[in-house]
Amino acid sequence: MKSKKVISLFLVTTMAATLLAGCGGSKDTPTAPADNTAANKPADTAPADTPAKAPEADNADAAPVEEQTLRVAAFEGGYGADMWSEVVAAFEASHPGVTVELTIDKKLEDVISPAMKAGDYPDVVHLATGREAALTETLTKENALLPLTDVLEMTVPGESVKVKDKIIPGFLDTLATNPYGDGVTYYAPMFYSPCGLFYNAGLFKEKGWDVPTTWDEMWALGDTAKADGIALFTYPTTGYFDAFTYATLSSAGGSEFFDSCMTYEDGIWESENATKVFELIAKLGTYTEGTTVANANNDNFTKNQQLILDNKAIFCPNGTWLPGEMAEAPRADGFEWGFMAIPAVNAGGEGCSFCWFEQMWIPAAAQNQDMAKEFVAYMYSDEAAQIFAKSTAIQPITGVSDSLEGDNKMFYSIYDNGATAVMGGFASTAPVEGVNMLDTLCGTVNSIVSGDKTVAEWQAAVEEASDKLRAAME
Amino acid sequence: MPQSGAWGARRVVEKDVPLLDLENGGMHVKKVREKSVFITLCVAPAVILFVIFMLIPTFNVFKMSLYKWGGYSNNKEFVGLNNFKILMEDTNFFRSFQNTVLLIVCVTIVTIVLSLIFAAILSREKIKGQNIFRVIFYIPNILSVVVISAIFSAIYDPNSGLLNSIIGIFRGSDKTPILWLGDQKLVIYSLVIAMIWQAIGYYMVMYMASMASVPESLYESANLEGASKIRQFFSITLPLIWTNIRTTLTFFVISSINISFLIVKALTNGGPDGATEVFLSYMYKQAYTNSSYGYGMAIGVVVFLFSFGLSALINFVTKREPLEF
Repeated sequence: MKSKKVISLFLVTTMAATLLAGCGGSKDTPTAPADNTAANKPADTAPADTPAKAPEADNADAAPVEEQTLRVAAFEGGYGADMWSEVVAAFEASHPGVTVELTIDKKLEDVISPAMKAGDYPDVVHLATGREAALTETLTKENALLPLTDVLEMTVPGESVKVKDKIIPGFLDTLATNPYGDGVTYYAPMFYSPCGLFYNAGLFKEKGWDVPTTWDEMWALGDTAKADGIALFTYPTTGYFDAFTYATLSSAGGSEFFDSCMTYEDGIWESENATKVFELIAKLGTYTEGTTVANANNDNFTKNQQLILDNKAIFCPNGTWLPGEMAEAPRADGFEWGFMAIPAVNAGGEGCSFCWFEQMWIPAAAQNQDMAKEFVAYMYSDEAAQIFAKSTAIQPITGVSDSLEGDNKMFYSIYDNGATAVMGGFASTAPVEGVNMLDTLCGTVNSIVSGDKTVAEWQAAVEEASDKLRAAME
Repeated sequence: MPQSGAWGARRVVEKDVPLLDLENGGMHVKKVREKSVFITLCVAPAVILFVIFMLIPTFNVFKMSLYKWGGYSNNKEFVGLNNFKILMEDTNFFRSFQNTVLLIVCVTIVTIVLSLIFAAILSREKIKGQNIFRVIFYIPNILSVVVISAIFSAIYDPNSGLLNSIIGIFRGSDKTPILWLGDQKLVIYSLVIAMIWQAIGYYMVMYMASMASVPESLYESANLEGASKIRQFFSITLPLIWTNIRTTLTFFVISSINISFLIVKALTNGGPDGATEVFLSYMYKQAYTNSSYGYGMAIGVVVFLFSFGLSALINFVTKREPLEF
């Protein structure tokens, strides 16, 4: 009897103990980084003078070597993961004692955000705005990013130029780098890509058509092509209308007008210039290929892009990654990529192309901030830029796009051929519950094309969203 | 405390021992205490796990719904019921509410009818290749939702899709194609079809299991008395598997809410223009894409209360005296 009881008691204790051990384990995890913090502390204080020394490190190799770890998280985009490992290796080689822990993933948000919620942040993050999980935007709205003002003033490691002088002029004056519109840079501009209209240049040769340069020519081409059973326009998903709308807004009313739209100025969306854009898109909707809306979702958007390859539609708004994305797809005979800026909205105006770029930022909660700044500055070194350029990831550094060849050269030369570059995006505000500007502005395009909503309804909804967001701007 | 056999029996034995008369009372108290310690230890793991993984998160969802918070920083602002106030005026939320209710109602009714019919046929009738049918019906349930949505986006393809090709035979292939995923009035029903296809096998197997336990003798006597198959189904099968059907109704509510999110996420992502937004996809969009975590949790609270309430209501309405056989 007794022994039985002893055994059962033993079993229960083991069970309870394992359970507690299990709980203990999970409770331990948050303390583990805390230990790290302690361990990092000496290293943390050390790099305060490291960045200052780093540029000199080339001449004077007597700089004391401090062991420290930098945690970098990078989004694995269409350019692949290899370039990141290479850049990190080069950074480590030029910064003795620094070990970079690289996290790279196609769904980076899912990988890093659980730890971030527990207060464990990476030191540097390369992740663009405009993604569905909106991690970058969320941190911006929460004021959880580190200003990069002093990074811009830093000298590029291993070179004698300041970071801000290497970046192509214009890239640092946009809402896509200064999200609060107050002139303070929070996002470092990384790989950029001009967005515009893609088409089959071979089809134009075959049919003897001229590439339209104005919207009137565009509509005329649309009517001609319709007779041949070819639609004028298609779009992958309505998400691509952000670049399209930004470019046309800027073309309709100039860059100041564009900035007013992006900063939610009262009544701006009901102004004459905005109305032109809404009506332009609505008219384009009537020239849109019939099945586009049905395929304008994450599962089927490539079917819309395929319409261009199959000569079923002429133009598709997209970014320079499109040829890579459709590289394996079958195509019509004589297919040849063509790319043009969006024609001017006003007669006699200039064409325009939205320039989309990815961003790199430092969380305010990063532990190794000084080395993080050093890393960001290093991104603009010729060494790093060359590694990125090998994978056709082009940074906004003067001269980098010169090394491009073939189709890519044509894509990046769009601004040399007279198109105005449009950059930026909606200003960051405190989150407004239930109001999503991009959804209202772009998502509604599906309803306009299918005829479920009128332009007036669309315009009113955008203005209403703009009003609510303006109230939330600080 | 209820006494189960062994413990009770031992106590009786102890009482019969006269020697330790004085200490007997003390021994007794000690035994009772030992017993409750033992029970506490046995139950503790389950209770602790339940509290950590069920009660605390649920409580947190309720708590978070009272804050304005982006999800990461420490800037949590207590806003009371403000999130719910905004929710009551949010037309997009009401659209997702409508869509969800429509999905629950349509999917439940059609699936329950079809899976009952299939289950009755497969368990009562002798059909060749019965087992193959069982497997075929159950396959969609094993497939991941992403695979299902890939299958259905191929079926719904406007130009080369299965559905439009078949319909094209009857209405002529030169007509404008039906946009199953593009027409805002149609697209939600396209989701209904996909969800029914996915769910039938699972519920069919559940019903078949309970039909198998209905005694054969009842059907024999019904046959002798000349009752038709349909009469047998309504008078014998249905009443005797009623408790099972009631349980599955609750499953329908919960799984419709969950599966609709997965299918929407993979197939339409709430589009076109929000026409297929459901509870959880809207909650996700608000909590993450729109950086309003607190608001997302407020939606979560509504979903929680709604599914709880609806399940309770269904349970109450379908309550019958359980039949024994």
